[in-house]
Amino acid sequence: MNGTPLSRRAVFRVGGAGLLGLTYPQLLAARAKHKARAKAVIFLHQWGGPGQQETFDPKPDAPDNVRGWYKATQTKLPGILFGERIPKLAAMADKFTVIRCLQHTMKNHNSAGYYSLTGVAPATDDQRLRDSLELFPAYGSIVDKLAPAAKGVASFVSFPHVIADGSITPGQHASFLGKGHNPLFVNQDPSRPDFRLPELTLPENLNVERLENRTDLLKIIDNQSDLLESSLVAQGLDENYQKAVTMLTSPRFKQAFDLTKESKKTRDAYGHSTYGQSCLLARRVVEAGAKFVNVYYARSIGGTGNGWDYHGFRGENVPARLDELLPMADQTLPALLNDLEERGMLESTLVVWVGEFWRTPKISSNGGRDHWPQCYCAVLAGGGAKKGAVYGASDRIGAYPTVGQARPEDLAATMFEALGLDPDSEIHDKLNRPLPIARGKPIREVLD
Amino acid sequence: MVRFALVCCAASFVNSSAIAADVSFEREVMAVLSRAGCNSGACHGNLNGKGGLKLTLRGEDAALDLATLTRDMLARRTDRNRPDESLILLKATGGVPHEGGIRFSKLSPEYAILQDWIARGCLPDATAGLSLTRLDVSPRNPILVEPADRFPVKAVAHFSDGSTRDVTGLCAFEFTSTGIASITPAGEVIREQTGETVLLVRYLTEMVPIRIVFLPDRPMPEMPLSLTKSPIDRFVFAQLREMRLQPAPLAADHIFLRRAYLDLLGVLPTVEEAKAFLADADPNKREKLIDALLARPEFAEFWAQKWSDLLRNEVKALDRKGVAVFYRWIAGEIAADRPLNEFARDILAARGSTYTNPPANFWRAIRDPLQRSESVAQVFLGIRVGCARCHNHPFDRWTIDDYYGFAAFFSRIEYRVEENNKKDKLDKHEFVGEQWVLANRTGEMISPRTKLAAKPRFLGAATPEFAANEDRLAALADWVASPENAFFARAQVNRIWLNLMGRGLVDPNDDFRATNPATNPELLDWLVADFKAGGFRLKHSIKSVMLSDTYQLAATSREASTMGDELHHSHARIAPLKAEQLLDALAQVTEVPVQYTGYPLGLRANQVPAPPQSGRRDVSGMSERFLKAFGKPDRLLTCECERSDDPGLLQAFQMITGEMVNGLVLTPNNRIGRLLAAGKSDAEMLDEFYLAALSRRPSDAEATKLLAYVASAKDRRAAWEDVLWALLNSKEFLLRR
Repeated sequence: MNGTPLSRRAVFRVGGAGLLGLTYPQLLAARAKHKARAKAVIFLHQWGGPGQQETFDPKPDAPDNVRGWYKATQTKLPGILFGERIPKLAAMADKFTVIRCLQHTMKNHNSAGYYSLTGVAPATDDQRLRDSLELFPAYGSIVDKLAPAAKGVASFVSFPHVIADGSITPGQHASFLGKGHNPLFVNQDPSRPDFRLPELTLPENLNVERLENRTDLLKIIDNQSDLLESSLVAQGLDENYQKAVTMLTSPRFKQAFDLTKESKKTRDAYGHSTYGQSCLLARRVVEAGAKFVNVYYARSIGGTGNGWDYHGFRGENVPARLDELLPMADQTLPALLNDLEERGMLESTLVVWVGEFWRTPKISSNGGRDHWPQCYCAVLAGGGAKKGAVYGASDRIGAYPTVGQARPEDLAATMFEALGLDPDSEIHDKLNRPLPIARGKPIREVLD
Repeated sequence: MVRFALVCCAASFVNSSAIAADVSFEREVMAVLSRAGCNSGACHGNLNGKGGLKLTLRGEDAALDLATLTRDMLARRTDRNRPDESLILLKATGGVPHEGGIRFSKLSPEYAILQDWIARGCLPDATAGLSLTRLDVSPRNPILVEPADRFPVKAVAHFSDGSTRDVTGLCAFEFTSTGIASITPAGEVIREQTGETVLLVRYLTEMVPIRIVFLPDRPMPEMPLSLTKSPIDRFVFAQLREMRLQPAPLAADHIFLRRAYLDLLGVLPTVEEAKAFLADADPNKREKLIDALLARPEFAEFWAQKWSDLLRNEVKALDRKGVAVFYRWIAGEIAADRPLNEFARDILAARGSTYTNPPANFWRAIRDPLQRSESVAQVFLGIRVGCARCHNHPFDRWTIDDYYGFAAFFSRIEYRVEENNKKDKLDKHEFVGEQWVLANRTGEMISPRTKLAAKPRFLGAATPEFAANEDRLAALADWVASPENAFFARAQVNRIWLNLMGRGLVDPNDDFRATNPATNPELLDWLVADFKAGGFRLKHSIKSVMLSDTYQLAATSREASTMGDELHHSHARIAPLKAEQLLDALAQVTEVPVQYTGYPLGLRANQVPAPPQSGRRDVSGMSERFLKAFGKPDRLLTCECERSDDPGLLQAFQMITGEMVNGLVLTPNNRIGRLLAAGKSDAEMLDEFYLAALSRRPSDAEATKLLAYVASAKDRRAAWEDVLWALLNSKEFLLRR
């Protein structure tokens, strides 16, 4: 073998397709050449598109209309600057990797959002990109398909919003992989005292005892026909019922969604915002065994209490918006990383912080920044990501990458590889065409 | 273990025969590149190549590959002076790192062929023009019964000069499913487990599928008698005998009744209808029922939903008025039993206002010429041509030129948008208001290969020369609708078979190709002939199928082998009710009408022309969410595959504790409320609930236990709610069988 790792293709195709029999299960097929570094990924999706100048790639020496509202601050890494409004992140820059050279060409939220949630570029840069089963599944759905979590645990969990810009952004579900691989989606606010998972909550007229009575009656009827004995379809249906009833009547997985189990100190650390408590919830569901968690920053792209889209349209007070956005970023990400580290989970959990694009280098006549996909940043921490590294660099004003090259499909490949999934693994669309789960290459520079 | 297998593989090459004196580039080297998988889509055949080397997909262009291998990269790929140092040999044998792994060993015949060809100077073939005319593979469709567990495959190539050659050792082999069998480099197929699979044998441009069956040694089944009524049974039962599968017995009356209602009308029989059918002593009552159901308006409504799914009858592009007129038009055509080829012609040739000429909505919905062409091929011809948009179809006959030639028929459609009162000004897909579909006489389709306007070409058929200003759509519509069209009737009977039997004879039902053979080709031929003889009419063909014993078999059998059969129709299909069927059944059994947003209360799910706009928040109510959870498609693909009935936890939650089901069971004046108010006894109530939900009466065991439960309960109404819930969650209710 001359030390060449025995790849998936070698296993399958040596000497011609199928000569070894093609009997290996799909799970083996998907196993990567490299060891899994992460057991789970927490994907913190920064809807609306943060600005690089205000966060991870400031340009303190650029003209006023580029530099923006704030100065830069020295980070824990010599020579590396962050925006001055994220001091906590700057102080822990030795714990994560920043990618400063991500780029693509989609300028609309929905097309870019879909790209960022799947690693697949849509055919057109369509402001109202229509979701259909032709589009690619979410990362978590692919993980659920190829390397599902243990029984009784959802592999892919997403919350607390469905993100949309005029129309619902594609890429948030399983698409052609089938409904079975959809996320366990929680459309509730974890910061509210009455937060609970509706699927796991019995309606008022139904207590556990009555539900058990009902399932006893159901057994009487099901036993009458020979469907359960002889039909795989009936058995599959029954299996889902058993699972659902177990989840409804037993506390195990449910407890992950009970944030009252956390100390006040921990809850305070994340901040009592929807997004902050969602980050805490992400840690809890990963602890319970989930493998991919999408946390959506906000329901809408911009406006008070929403995403990062600070154009300054219609007299929007951009500094006021940034006073809301930047402290939230500087509180939640450090809180999550510290919490994971304290629990010994950081090494096995890859945290990815990224939006669908970033913002124009120059401040517009509206006093804000517009969409800019040509050069943007991502933060990767834990789960095999390098500690204290910066990959890539942008030009003087942060308009184009000058060092390094990375696209959303490369970030996708990186996450899959960190999870131990070969990015070349194939899934099949509705027309049974084989498609690789990621169309890019893992960014080796950011992995340990 | 894997390593061990590799060694074995390599060892088996050692003693293989020497190769012929002159190595042919086209007939041997190219074959080796295919056999080793080098030019597959996942490797160097990829559109962008891999690792800097790009070969033509599956070797479709030998001349180009020759240049790539001998000229590019400073000719390092092939080193004539030191052949063993050639990059392609070093890579393929693991001499240098290769992302694609080791493809063959240095001792293999593959290596010998490439090495010899390189050593002799990497020459193109001297005998230019010698082409492959046919590939014969034997045996054709072997059925092996235990203990037989292996057989040799032999492939013989026929060339244009009349010569033949055994090319088994040069073929690429591929199974369409995994786990049934494996094949050795020498071409011996070895069973891994009993079952059925297709082996694709590929040599250069030819690919031959062979269906392989490994049977356990089970006894020959006794075939039931009196199976001569329907020719369908003759074909199905002949195959069952061959496969040694015992067909299930005929389904009981109540099962047949419920199945026929669900398949034809999409609704359950009412209590009265069930009682009447079960009590009817007429031996012809099944045929009578089929005729009666085919004449009912619900039949047209239900089958119009199926066609609405395929023809993209959706609100965003067609608007509320558009989906209503299109749906009504389709239902009208089906009610009138208009020949399906005429129906197709009306759609394909449609022009004019989409409000006053409803079939024009198909073109209103599909605004991209390539998508029009792919959709028409898929829906009306059962052909998926999409792959050929970018490359010659790897598993099929369709080339890029075929693709763009067919697309040229659809390049002249235009729209005159009379008004557009869309709610979202930024949405290019939304249209609200009247528009006209027009055809200009000049639009062309530019082929990316030739950079010229593609000449319109029918798929797989001779195409007349068209004048420059010819009405191409009309010509296309006539060709599709012509009784001579080789694809249309096949695609339609296969669709009818899918809808009644649960699986197309060709599966997926819209993916006809040589490498995806029908499970029962003779039956498919007969169905096509019967469809044509019946004047292309839907009702005729449906009745032909439903009158057969094959359709009327029970869904379950005591024979494990029968239940294990998913291909040969030895028993009826068991499948979850479709979203609309389920919600209509829930409403009917509970006697609580369900509200659909924007439609009058009392309309059934199968009567709502189209689901609300997808992709919008807050546009759907509880019933729309329910339908979506159970797989109602958004109608954005022209494919049956868009509807999913894959089970999920979410569906279980919907049924167990979901707002919809819980609400229907709780509604005070539902069927429980009515029966209680009417002073019915518990036994009478149980009878009625069983007939309403399951089209049968309770067994003694069920009656005893359930009545005891109700009798012992403190709250009689609550106890009935529990029983009703149990009935609605029973497998018998949730499944079509």
